[in-house]
Amino acid sequence: MALPNGTVPEPPVQPTTKSAPTVVGINFGNTYASIAVLTKEGLAECIANEDGERQIACAVSFHGEETYIGNQAKPQLVKNAQNTIINFRNLLGKKFSEIPKDQPVTSAPVIQHPDQPDVPAYKVSILQPAPTPIPTPSLSVRSSTNTPAASALATPRSEPIPAERILTVAEVNTMFLKSLVQSAQDFLGRSVDGAVIAVPTEFDDNARAALEAAAEDAGIKVLQLLDEAAAASLVSVYGPSEGLHLDRTSLVVDVGQSSLSLSVLSIRHGLISSIATSHDPTVGGEQIDEKLIKFFAKEFTKKTKTPLTVCPATDPVDKRAEAKLRIAIEHTKRTLSASPGAATCSVESLKDGVDFTGSINRMRFDMEVRTVYAKIISAAHDLLASADHEPLHVDEIIYVGGTASLPGLDESFLVIFPDSVMTPFTAGTVVGGGEGDPTTILARGCALQAKVLSEIPEEETKIKEAFKKGNGYTKESTATKSIGLIFPEEPVDGAETKGDLGGQWVVGVPKDTPVPYRRVIQFEADLGESEENKKVGFEVWEVKEGVKVEKHKPPKVEDDDDGEKDADDEEEEEEEIETREKTVEKETLLGSLSFTSLHATKEKGRWKTRVEIQFIVGRDGHVSVKAWEVSRGKKGELAVDFRTPAPPTH
Amino acid sequence: MASVIHLPLLTPPLPKDWSPLESSAKSISKLSQRVLLPVGPAYLAHVRRTVNNRTFEDDDR
Ligand SMILES: Nc1ncnc2c1ncn2[C@@H]1O[C@H](COP(=O)(O)OP(=O)(O)OP(=O)(O)O)[C@@H](O)[C@H]1O
Ligand SMILES: [Mg+2]
Repeated sequence: MALPNGTVPEPPVQPTTKSAPTVVGINFGNTYASIAVLTKEGLAECIANEDGERQIACAVSFHGEETYIGNQAKPQLVKNAQNTIINFRNLLGKKFSEIPKDQPVTSAPVIQHPDQPDVPAYKVSILQPAPTPIPTPSLSVRSSTNTPAASALATPRSEPIPAERILTVAEVNTMFLKSLVQSAQDFLGRSVDGAVIAVPTEFDDNARAALEAAAEDAGIKVLQLLDEAAAASLVSVYGPSEGLHLDRTSLVVDVGQSSLSLSVLSIRHGLISSIATSHDPTVGGEQIDEKLIKFFAKEFTKKTKTPLTVCPATDPVDKRAEAKLRIAIEHTKRTLSASPGAATCSVESLKDGVDFTGSINRMRFDMEVRTVYAKIISAAHDLLASADHEPLHVDEIIYVGGTASLPGLDESFLVIFPDSVMTPFTAGTVVGGGEGDPTTILARGCALQAKVLSEIPEEETKIKEAFKKGNGYTKESTATKSIGLIFPEEPVDGAETKGDLGGQWVVGVPKDTPVPYRRVIQFEADLGESEENKKVGFEVWEVKEGVKVEKHKPPKVEDDDDGEKDADDEEEEEEEIETREKTVEKETLLGSLSFTSLHATKEKGRWKTRVEIQFIVGRDGHVSVKAWEVSRGKKGELAVDFRTPAPPTH
Repeated sequence: MASVIHLPLLTPPLPKDWSPLESSAKSISKLSQRVLLPVGPAYLAHVRRTVNNRTFEDDDR
């Protein structure tokens, strides 16, 4: 793992008698949830629930005496939609009057609670086992097909009685969360002492409070409600792809079912600050589903001559067919993500008793959904632009959410992002549920954070507070421009010098770094051939960074042997290739240092030494630079240093 | 100890006539406000330093 910014004093030794608390990470999306636990080695791992699912559908369904929670509840959307509840997470903290009523209803509708003013609720029909009354909001019900709620009763009973049950949104959320934590406990074989739960950045205070209350009601001790972008980036901090710098700019792309969330983050030795975020509830898996459902409906009609109109469907029979396709394509999409070949979609009795089997390969699929990809890319572009950034400034893309598992989306990103950008697809960490797997990254990040929190000693209450929303410690200042070194260099005759800098540029503290901050760099210095004058010297500058855009004519393509030329060629020749390159310009000289080397060694006729330089930018913005010579791995005496005054505060 | 970044780099020898530039006692540009994400060991270390009023050097000791 990457070392934190600066060092942490060793935590007090935990008494060995008390075992570490059992903590988990929970990703509670509107569509799917997942759970991660910590391994003995301290790594986070997403677990499968008792149904063998890692992506646990956020659905609760009542059918007769049975209650289904999770993936088994989803098929109920076809024939038992009235008693099947979905999309309940996004309603947390909302009053009934705040919920839009114009949405198409494909599941149990949200109603005004009969007794509680302005409280959203659901009404479902159940069969009440007689004579035992059903426990109020039956929190003990577990997800399982073959365990009716009251089957434990050995005594023969009379026929169950049809009844109606009202559940508030809060109760449904509690019921679902309870089932999640039960799965974790079944897996671990012990009770869970605390959990970090991921929340969307746009969740307001009401939603957060409602989620926390629902979790507490489910018996979960909430250690922290963690922003989704923070959870995802923590995974990157713990296990960065090889070649990624400890200081980097990362773009988090979260595409779930019902929305797109983007964040531009500055990561500085594990310290993460948010540069810009955006949220668009009109782009997501939903749009992809529509295209895919329409595609297969068309196929169905073509093959079977049975008319089928979907997305939107008006006819009840078509509606049911659409619901069936919607469930079936979950499998199709996962297959498409996993392999480029043909992915099938099969539905028994899709319409009028006619079965359907269709298939689509990745290339065709990507074509069908390219407008959705394009929307995501352009939203990313806009967000970067709003923060005065462009794709060139992004070192890493972190994908989050089921829809971000689609390789075609990554390919679309790579068209406009520089070759140097690291993505989990280019790093090969998506395959086989690897580090970069977008469907498990949130739960894993939450588990890692739960571990960090559980290791803070109980008495450090102030420090624990610093992880709550609205605490005073998250507001920090950041450097607005990069600070670095210039190693002056003899201009080489005839050859072009490196820009106007007059020497070699080495970044010290990159812009967007939160302060106070310390950074220590080490490198080798060439001191030349001469025996005397073995001097190390450099200037410290604050610089202005920009982007140089150059247009080139593409190299002329040789004509074909037959000398034929089609009309298109003429146009292509006109088109210019654009290259973009980062630039650095000197702006403010902060200081300049030099010292005579005492430990240089001669290599192939040239003197060389290792130099270590420490930059500290104080809370007030003062900069202190110190330089040492390092010989045989040991730091020598402080050679030189200087300190600048703090900048004005306004 | 602070983590040291090893840069794969060889800086060039100084020009013969180079001498350190006169320090101008200038400061860096005005800082701007950002929001830190309360996550991970680095944030914890940051908060510990703030709460206990410690410097980086204090952390080393
Ligand atoms: N491997 C996959 N390939 C493609 N799509 C997938 C894959 N896995 C899941 N999905 C799709 O991703 C979406 C769910 O994503 P995710 O679990 O991130 O949503 P969520 O965060 O629960 O939902 P929301 O964005 O509505 O809050 C669904 O449309 C699902 O079909
Ligand atoms: Mg989501």
